[in-house]
Amino acid sequence: MNASEWKEKLSRVGESFSSAISGAASDNIAEVELQFLGRKGELALLLRDLGSFTIEEKKELGRLGNELKGRLVAALEAKKAELAARRACGTDSGKSRPDPAGRSAPGTDSGKSRPDPAGGGAKASAGLDLTLSGRPFPKGSLHPITQAMDRVTASLMKLGFSVAEGPHVEEDHFNFEALNFPADHPARDMQDTFYAGVKDASGKDMLLRTHTSPVQIRSMKGAALPLRIISPGRVFRSEAVDASHSFVFHQVEGLYVDRSVSMADLRWTLDAFIKDLFGSSARVRFAPTYFPFVEPGAQVEISCVFCGGTSHSSVHLGPQSGCSGKSERCPICKGTGWLEMLGAGMVHPNVLKACGHDPEKWSGFAFGAGVERFAMLLFGIKDMRMFYENDLRVWKQL
Amino acid sequence: MKILYSWLCDFIETPPPAEELPGKFARLGLGVESAGRSGAAVTGVVVGRIDKIDRHPNADKLSLVDVSDGAATMRVVCGAKNIAVGQLIPFARVGAVLAEGELKKAKIRGVESEGMICSAGELGLEGYDNSGILVLDPSAPLGADARALFAPPEQRASGSSSARRHVALPDWVFELEITPNLSYCLSHYALARELCVFYGLKFREPVLTELPKSAGTVAPVSVTDPCLCPRYTAVVMKGLEGAKTPDWMAARLRAMGSNPKGNLLIDVSNYVMYELGQPTHCFDLANLAGPEIKVRPSSDGESMKALDGIELRLAAGTLVIADREKPVALAGVMGGFYSSVADTTDSVLIESASFAQSAVRASSRKSGIKSESSYRFERGTDIELTMKAARRIAGLLLEAVPSAGVEQVSDNFPEPPRLPVVAADPARINAILGTAMTDEKIFACLKAIQPELSPEKPWQFTPPSYRRDIENVQDLAEEAARYNGYDLIPSASSMPVMPASSTPLAEAEAELRGRLAALGFSEVYNYDLVPLKDFRNCLLDETQAVELLNPLSSDYQYLRVSLLPGLLRTLRYNLNRGRTSVAVFETGTVYHKTKDGRKEERVCAGLTYGPFPEEQHWRGGSEMSDFYHLKGVMQAVFGGRRGFRFEKPKHRPAFLQEGAALVMKLGAGEAGVLGLADPMAVINSDLKDTQVYYFEITLSSLAESWKGSFRDRVPQVKPVSSYPAAWRDLSVLVDDKREWAEMEKDLFSLPDLARLDLIDVYKGKGVPEGQRSLTLRFTFSAMERTMTDADVNSRMEKALKKLEASFGAKLRG
Repeated sequence: MNASEWKEKLSRVGESFSSAISGAASDNIAEVELQFLGRKGELALLLRDLGSFTIEEKKELGRLGNELKGRLVAALEAKKAELAARRACGTDSGKSRPDPAGRSAPGTDSGKSRPDPAGGGAKASAGLDLTLSGRPFPKGSLHPITQAMDRVTASLMKLGFSVAEGPHVEEDHFNFEALNFPADHPARDMQDTFYAGVKDASGKDMLLRTHTSPVQIRSMKGAALPLRIISPGRVFRSEAVDASHSFVFHQVEGLYVDRSVSMADLRWTLDAFIKDLFGSSARVRFAPTYFPFVEPGAQVEISCVFCGGTSHSSVHLGPQSGCSGKSERCPICKGTGWLEMLGAGMVHPNVLKACGHDPEKWSGFAFGAGVERFAMLLFGIKDMRMFYENDLRVWKQL
Repeated sequence: MKILYSWLCDFIETPPPAEELPGKFARLGLGVESAGRSGAAVTGVVVGRIDKIDRHPNADKLSLVDVSDGAATMRVVCGAKNIAVGQLIPFARVGAVLAEGELKKAKIRGVESEGMICSAGELGLEGYDNSGILVLDPSAPLGADARALFAPPEQRASGSSSARRHVALPDWVFELEITPNLSYCLSHYALARELCVFYGLKFREPVLTELPKSAGTVAPVSVTDPCLCPRYTAVVMKGLEGAKTPDWMAARLRAMGSNPKGNLLIDVSNYVMYELGQPTHCFDLANLAGPEIKVRPSSDGESMKALDGIELRLAAGTLVIADREKPVALAGVMGGFYSSVADTTDSVLIESASFAQSAVRASSRKSGIKSESSYRFERGTDIELTMKAARRIAGLLLEAVPSAGVEQVSDNFPEPPRLPVVAADPARINAILGTAMTDEKIFACLKAIQPELSPEKPWQFTPPSYRRDIENVQDLAEEAARYNGYDLIPSASSMPVMPASSTPLAEAEAELRGRLAALGFSEVYNYDLVPLKDFRNCLLDETQAVELLNPLSSDYQYLRVSLLPGLLRTLRYNLNRGRTSVAVFETGTVYHKTKDGRKEERVCAGLTYGPFPEEQHWRGGSEMSDFYHLKGVMQAVFGGRRGFRFEKPKHRPAFLQEGAALVMKLGAGEAGVLGLADPMAVINSDLKDTQVYYFEITLSSLAESWKGSFRDRVPQVKPVSSYPAAWRDLSVLVDDKREWAEMEKDLFSLPDLARLDLIDVYKGKGVPEGQRSLTLRFTFSAMERTMTDADVNSRMEKALKKLEASFGAKLRG
């Protein structure tokens, strides 16, 4: 027998021990011990064969043999402890059987892994403290806005909306002009704009997009219709930062253009979307509002997802009005029963024209929602600034 | 805009209760920001006169005042400092109801007080100085209801001359957010009209003074470009010196948040603007050279001192009002200093004009002046309103100074504007809304807005002059929905099914995020806008960066070129809050200036610092994160991607330490870099410990690999042998310079090698200097048979030979 044959035998001993111990039960654990680790056990016999090897070989092979012995002893002790624990829990039938979970004792898994030197099994006794903490595994987290955005995107994709993207540093044409914000129109005052020190091809200062709506234009211009897209992304407005304002925030824009699209389609789509997000009891209502790129325009409110929209007074009159004075007011919807969630409307004919489509033939709807608001509602975040503080004490909770 | 309920009621025959208005406003798209009561139900307060003031015997700061209400004299205790004998003051008798409640008889420092002298606040008036008592106009009738002085005169019915005063208190104040399309609602009059049109209420037109048609011409008016000023109405009045603002008008202006000056010639313009929505201006006729009015573009080099005293240099072509010599007002924005009215003004020229929106917006922007006037003109005013507003002003002036004379009434209105005619097809309106309204229902709405609409089909809808926002059938559809309520729109659809897809970039990003989070990294968001010091700290080139032209502050002046500075900030933020372990990543956009604009790139970057995993455990097992830890993370992130490998960088990657950085490749392209963050950048970012490991992945390269065929994106399974495998360890000594990756690559050519693990790397005792000991574990497996000892031996011999021959390795004894 040369050294490598000996090693091979040694590894076989390890393997057969591992299958024997995994099926061992309290009634035959002693036999297993005797078979492998007894004075005339397999390992002892193999070690006796070392006598015929050179000094160097003896050193190496002896070390390997002793290592295996250590592993076998440890595994055996662990098994004994396990059986003792099972007996204590009454789950041990006392009969030997194959391990249902296919577990194997440490150190014998085809000889590849090594026993855990701190192996708790070996040290554990019948008095296991099961309340000790389990091994920690690294736990990361996704940013709440990512999570909110992912939910919104997934929901809308179910309704046949494809994702479209656009740049952050945008041309005036896409951000305003083509969206029916003519130059010198007061509607431009509605969105405080950052201008960037670079110019577009026509020599105009470029700007940081103030909404995700330019992606409407980029997607529609020269494109084949029908078209159904969403555009999630980051937008910028020159506003001072406080608990409910940020100069950087996120929107999701939706657009559907086809022949004879109506506002009823829009309402159905938002209904389906909101029900998917907040459950089938969520309701949607429309009120008139203004965005230059839609006509008619609608502000979309959803029934309060926290109080279930139980309060139905249409508009609240403030603390002096005496309305709902003593009943508990929902802090999220302030007792109105409704939450402002989206802006929407029918694509303005000027927008279709700017994209080269005939508004007599095509019509469409568009909608947009702020993702921060959704994330704040979802996770109970009270202050916008938290989104960019990145306090891991908070993020690790997500 | 603020709206007073009482003022609104001036124009509605039977106004709805204030409590119903917020709902009614919201239904029309008028955002209600706040609604609250103003004032209080005050009764029992009369006009009194202070006859005598004595010192309080027991208190230095109190006085004993004799107040007469015309019938009796009462002694009251008063703490105000602004009292004087002869003043008329609001006097509350015992039993009066004030803003705070009922007034009771009281002893103050031992002296009985038979009433109280009130401040404006106690009378329920808003916007007044409440530090002392309210001093009334000397003309107020003694003994009269003091609160009534502050109630506006009831609109006079035409023909009747009696001006009853009504006291509609408490009042309500609504703060409305009015979007640009509804700017025709920027006044009490217009808002009342809107409520009447949409809720079927009876509208009451303001009563306007008839002006003499035969008045002459004192100051001729000329307009050079009627496109910029389509209408200019001017009224000249004389004999107005000392005209004072009545209390009721001042009270309303104060409640609107305006600050009345007391001079009626100034205050009346604001009052009429809030009432009718038409901005006007009064010039002092004495200071108009000519006198003459020229509406013209400014010429080169002209300047004007504005009302607020600031000298304005006018850009050539700015629309101005000029007299014979010089500009006297920035048209529609602000009046000039020299022609403004003062307390000594006797004659005025009242300007009530219509200016082009773009002209006013341009002057407002160029001059940097924003006024209530420019706000309204920019949004468009009703051209039919100029004469009404002029007559209203004249009427208010005549009411205050009945002896004043009207010397000129002129109206430059060469061409009435052409209004669009919109084909109001009910089928189209229903198609837009997805509704099935009857023709009658739609007609009722259109007719409410335009009473002159003929029922004959096809309906040709000409909007009224104030509705310049209505241009097409979509606009009419919105009106129909507003009229009937948006709830009319059903939730019903026959939208066809469409396939939905994401983009390679979005998919690559989502996968990367998910994997990093699963490996213990927390996702963070940082701002795209960064300070200059970020570049300096991280040794980045700021000349490549896009700078904002109008940053909020120097902290947010540039667009970021890298995610590293933000991540270091996140690290510092968390270390400062007691954390010892930070593993974070961010996916975001970085920006670079290019020759023809800018380039944006999506990047995923992250860093790790401190023990990993961060939780300490009773069994131990947490280690300081290091290069190999991050390398392992990257291996896991890219696991299964075809063509992924690490390579040594040809140049040192920016912000990574030389010799401690690797490049990650995907196929031919570079996917990113990882390594020890440049200690200089770390130290510059106010961090002490430089053991920060950083990675950066270019998402476009990842997305590129997503674009390949479907088959390339999904890992393909290789079969495994059903025969037992055999393993063998081998320890060798090799020169330090020999790299493991080379050996690994070489050894992989061994037949039947299923795995090769490097299980130990050792330097130190027993290993010669400049060398290291590597222990390799070979696992062999053949598909068709069990590996025999002889198989394994021959392969291990080959392995050793390869190592000896190619890498100078020696078997370790």
